[in-house]
Amino acid sequence: MAAAKRSFIMEHLRKSHMIELLAKGSRLDGRSLLDYRPIDIKCNIIQKANGSAQVSLGNTQVIAGVKIEVGAPFPDTPDKGLLVVNAEILPLASPYAEPGPPDEDAIELSRVVDRGVRESGMVDLSKLVLIPGQKVRAIFVDVSVLNVDGNLIDATSYAVVSALLTTKMPELEVTENGEIKEKSNLIPLPVSSIPVSVTFARIGEAMVVDPDSEEEAVMDARITLTTVGEGHLCAGQKGLAGGLTYEQIMFAAETAKIKGQEIREIIKKAISGVG
Amino acid sequence: MSKLINDGIRVDGRRADELRPYRLEVGVLKNADGSAYIELGKNKIIVAVYGPKEVHPKHLSLPDRCVLRCRYHMSPFSTDVRKTPAPSRREIEISKVIREALEPAILVGEYPRTAIDIFLEVLQSDGGSRCAGITAASLALADAGISMYDLVVACAAGKVDGTMVLDLSDIEDKEGEADMPVAVMPNLNVITLLQLDGILTHEEFKQGLDLALAGCMKLYEAQRKALMERYFKTALNQQQEVE
Amino acid sequence: MPEVKRKYVIPGELITEGNYRLLANVLKRENKFYATRVGLAEYGQEGVRVIPLTGPYIPRVDDLVIGKIVDYSAFVWEVDINSCFLAYLSAKSVYGKNFTPGQESLVKKFDIGDLIAAVVTAFDRTRDPILSVSGPGLGKITKGEVIKISPTKVPRLIGKKGSMIRTIESGTGCKLTIGQNGVIVVVGRPEGIIRAVRAIRLVEEEAHLADLTQKVQSMLGINQSE
Repeated sequence: MAAAKRSFIMEHLRKSHMIELLAKGSRLDGRSLLDYRPIDIKCNIIQKANGSAQVSLGNTQVIAGVKIEVGAPFPDTPDKGLLVVNAEILPLASPYAEPGPPDEDAIELSRVVDRGVRESGMVDLSKLVLIPGQKVRAIFVDVSVLNVDGNLIDATSYAVVSALLTTKMPELEVTENGEIKEKSNLIPLPVSSIPVSVTFARIGEAMVVDPDSEEEAVMDARITLTTVGEGHLCAGQKGLAGGLTYEQIMFAAETAKIKGQEIREIIKKAISGVG
Repeated sequence: MSKLINDGIRVDGRRADELRPYRLEVGVLKNADGSAYIELGKNKIIVAVYGPKEVHPKHLSLPDRCVLRCRYHMSPFSTDVRKTPAPSRREIEISKVIREALEPAILVGEYPRTAIDIFLEVLQSDGGSRCAGITAASLALADAGISMYDLVVACAAGKVDGTMVLDLSDIEDKEGEADMPVAVMPNLNVITLLQLDGILTHEEFKQGLDLALAGCMKLYEAQRKALMERYFKTALNQQQEVE
Repeated sequence: MPEVKRKYVIPGELITEGNYRLLANVLKRENKFYATRVGLAEYGQEGVRVIPLTGPYIPRVDDLVIGKIVDYSAFVWEVDINSCFLAYLSAKSVYGKNFTPGQESLVKKFDIGDLIAAVVTAFDRTRDPILSVSGPGLGKITKGEVIKISPTKVPRLIGKKGSMIRTIESGTGCKLTIGQNGVIVVVGRPEGIIRAVRAIRLVEEEAHLADLTQKVQSMLGINQSE
């Protein structure tokens, strides 16, 4: 037998209790189907980073840090800066997390969050060019997951977005002989719009938002939809082996817009406290 | 004229024998069996302990004691210049050194055929992170209820512009002449970590050791307070005499 | 009346000095006694010991435990008993000595995710814990709410001769099955279960404090007896 990844096994008793409650529109922790757990966002906690944010979504806890460097652009996009999002599920975070290179879950997490940020156009990469074709700003957003209790995608996404929105970098100028000089003042990233991801779990026929660990252990399918301010969708990812009906997807799209707006207000509040 | 010390005052305003500001907290992660968090200067380090637990594959376990595994890792955003996520040779050496600093304190014979995992993550680094990590790791082990002979507490001394000082900051670490991390089991007075990087006379070495051990005793008081706060707070609040 | 002295201790701390018997979680060096755990140290006529306030569940023979089936093979179930080792329940112990692998599919009796009340029949430093479900009240748990507490708090939850568990049961109308491994099953009506869970959490939080029985009684609205 191939060594399967160890994972959390839900007790049948608890699972039947959960299914019973879902039929009545509520969940094991008392939430209704469309309630998020308490979201707490603290920005600027890592002073050495250009930007940072710590996010708790219930007991799920992540920290994102932004580091900005100067480097060469990708050959096929000489007129754009670089943006790289990388998440690591630390062995600290769960008894089922192993130290080592990122596995498929961690890689999917990084790439889904990356797409949500990139496709929204939240950071105008064309404004990060210093010398076209030669020198651009490279933005690295690294996320360390500290405690896993479900819905890493949303927690990671809110941390990355909050960190980027509060990032400060030294202003750079290009001298006549092509040198890059650092000036003394700090400027923000060229950011507009706040993409917000909303993740759903399908458990039987019920669609719930913000699944915790126990709900993830029994869910049949998962879908994440990211919206930007005007309600347009800019990224999506369906996960797990189960399927979703057309109605369920349209319901998710509608709900993602509404919940997205609620959470956007939470993010706005969190970043407004920062200088 | 010295750059790092002027009239006995260091770059950050401290005297030679002063620790940077610090803060310790126990029980900060929900999933871990034990956890702790430390800030020392700009260092921010979080530690999780998982264990005792089964070893996979089984042939790696020991019949009469636990296997201790330790991973010291720096988050990419923790340093001035971004660090790639993959473990560096430095992190691997520090992981070993931390494990060997903590192992003497653990009653390993009480947990045969198991493993105890210690994970340290540096969220922000500011010189002396291995010492701060050891100090927090020892709290995380106590939080997990692992039997120990004593706590372990660590602190670094060093030489800066010819003067022996306590608790090197990042810039003192980079530009000073010597760096000496020390870890000790405070009640037993047994040293479990000693490293030296730089040249010291015999006299300077003794001075450094004395400084480091004094710093350790101050941090030990903070460790004790943090455990009391986490476990006995309700009693202390009610100011009760235990029946 | 023999006096028992108490103090809060952390690992490595000196508890007392003198001619005492050495009990749990204490080390003796010369004539001095030191704690090896975070907890409440007690010393007196009986000896010196530390009651830990945190720590793993280490199985003991005859312990009642509540475990979760996590895997099975042709002849044994693997059971998670919230300890550092997986425990094993043999098909032979359930179906009888004449059981042969392949005769019955184990999943029909206990499936992955099922909870069982079992007794530890063997455990020592050289092998994994062995369980048995032969006995009254043992076997698959079919109803109730499951709650987990630190195994170090179980003695306090049971109380002297079961006094605390009886207080909670009579005050809530629920039945509690308490595993030594910190897993508890509460059976009763929904309102009773909510109150029982609150009482259990109170005991877990304040296990080391005095007057706990009175606090639980007043939380449950029971008249306190003299």
